[in-house]
Amino acid sequence: MKHHSIEEQMKEARQVYEDTPIPQELEERVRQGIAQGRARRRQAARRGVWRSLGAAAACFVLVFGALNLSPTVAQAAADIPVLGGLFQVLTIRAYHTEKDGIDYDLDVPGVEGQGDAAQRVNQEIQERVDALTAKGRQDWEDYREAFFATGGTQEQWGDRKMDLIVDYEIKSQTDTTVSFTVDFFQGWVSAAQQRYCYNLDLAADRDITLADCLGENWVAVCNDAVNQYIKEQNQGENGGYFFPADQGGFTTVDTSTGFYINEAGTVVLVFQEYSIAAGAAGIVEIPVNVD
Amino acid sequence: MNHIQDSSMVEFLISYQQPAYRLAMSYLHDREEALDAVQSAVCRALERQNSLRDMGAVRPWFVRILVNVCLDTLRRRGKVVFVPPEALDTASYEDPLPDDGTLYDRVNALPPEVATVVKLRFYEEMSLRDISQVTGWNINTVKSRLYGGLKKLRLSVEGEELS
Repeated sequence: MKHHSIEEQMKEARQVYEDTPIPQELEERVRQGIAQGRARRRQAARRGVWRSLGAAAACFVLVFGALNLSPTVAQAAADIPVLGGLFQVLTIRAYHTEKDGIDYDLDVPGVEGQGDAAQRVNQEIQERVDALTAKGRQDWEDYREAFFATGGTQEQWGDRKMDLIVDYEIKSQTDTTVSFTVDFFQGWVSAAQQRYCYNLDLAADRDITLADCLGENWVAVCNDAVNQYIKEQNQGENGGYFFPADQGGFTTVDTSTGFYINEAGTVVLVFQEYSIAAGAAGIVEIPVNVD
Repeated sequence: MNHIQDSSMVEFLISYQQPAYRLAMSYLHDREEALDAVQSAVCRALERQNSLRDMGAVRPWFVRILVNVCLDTLRRRGKVVFVPPEALDTASYEDPLPDDGTLYDRVNALPPEVATVVKLRFYEEMSLRDISQVTGWNINTVKSRLYGGLKKLRLSVEGEELS
């Protein structure tokens, strides 16, 4: 007796399977899924760490100069007092648009205050925003050029785009001090994120330092906290991201080490991507608990 | 971090929509639910695309997401009683097959884990290795479930090389 192969025996079932009628709206549903997935991915990238002023702040624009992008920026200026004390930190520029293949999502904060410290911080943030957008546009242009120079077609290029995001989060505040972080994100074929920290004492018109928070022993206190943290992480299940000290890993904190002060008053050290750990670990934040 | 390009992912998802729908339909037998399942799977794929290291493995990776969405839907419906893994391996679960159904219906009436292997092997022509990636079972488990399923379908497997 001749055996039919399994494939032959399954042919009938496979035919029924292949004859499944395809609804017309399938493609539309797939495209909706794509848009949804992209939006969620971006949300997830911003969630938690990147919360700005919340709903009350909405989107208000006071100045828009240095970026020199399109004039379609919403001009909904509003002066919402956020912090109450001597000064405010607020969104001084918001820019949400897509232009030349770059998706801008910029919420640029500024400190409203007369002192030199506030002005210096504002200027530094502005310079970093300008640098991010300039680099983003240059990278994108280079990428596009290389893509077509190596035989890429318009069709293959499709709807490629780059994300440029600036967002900030106020970590803690008092009548005269504020601690906040600003994130700069560039995402396309690869993604890079930087987080800068600002801690200001507006009454004294100066930066708050780690020594102010932790006393004269601040270097040792921080180093102990970091070494302890790395040890624990390396033992955990996601361990192994941290570089050893002799291979570019953590050695010591110094006055350039970023930090913020959280709601509980705890100092949290911030290390940029790749600075003490592999990129997979992302930006590393280590709280310094003092007992 | 190794990022898969958004555009190659989107290209794949669009090109794979019909097989995805057919597979979803074979689990759910409901047009709206199958459309929902495909849309959620596409959404999840983009959301989690960073967990895919190699674009070459995108099909088993995506099918895994899709099958999980379908099985979740079935679980929510409460229509499926999941068979303990030991029972699947020995094919000792209670035979759910009506003898008079078409082969397509009989495949669908297998426990979902077993049906998954059969469908991926014969409808989607996936290799056992890819099926192993989709299901997360090792190759031997995939093989034994495939043989068990075929036996239940009363298909002769003598002398067949399945890999």
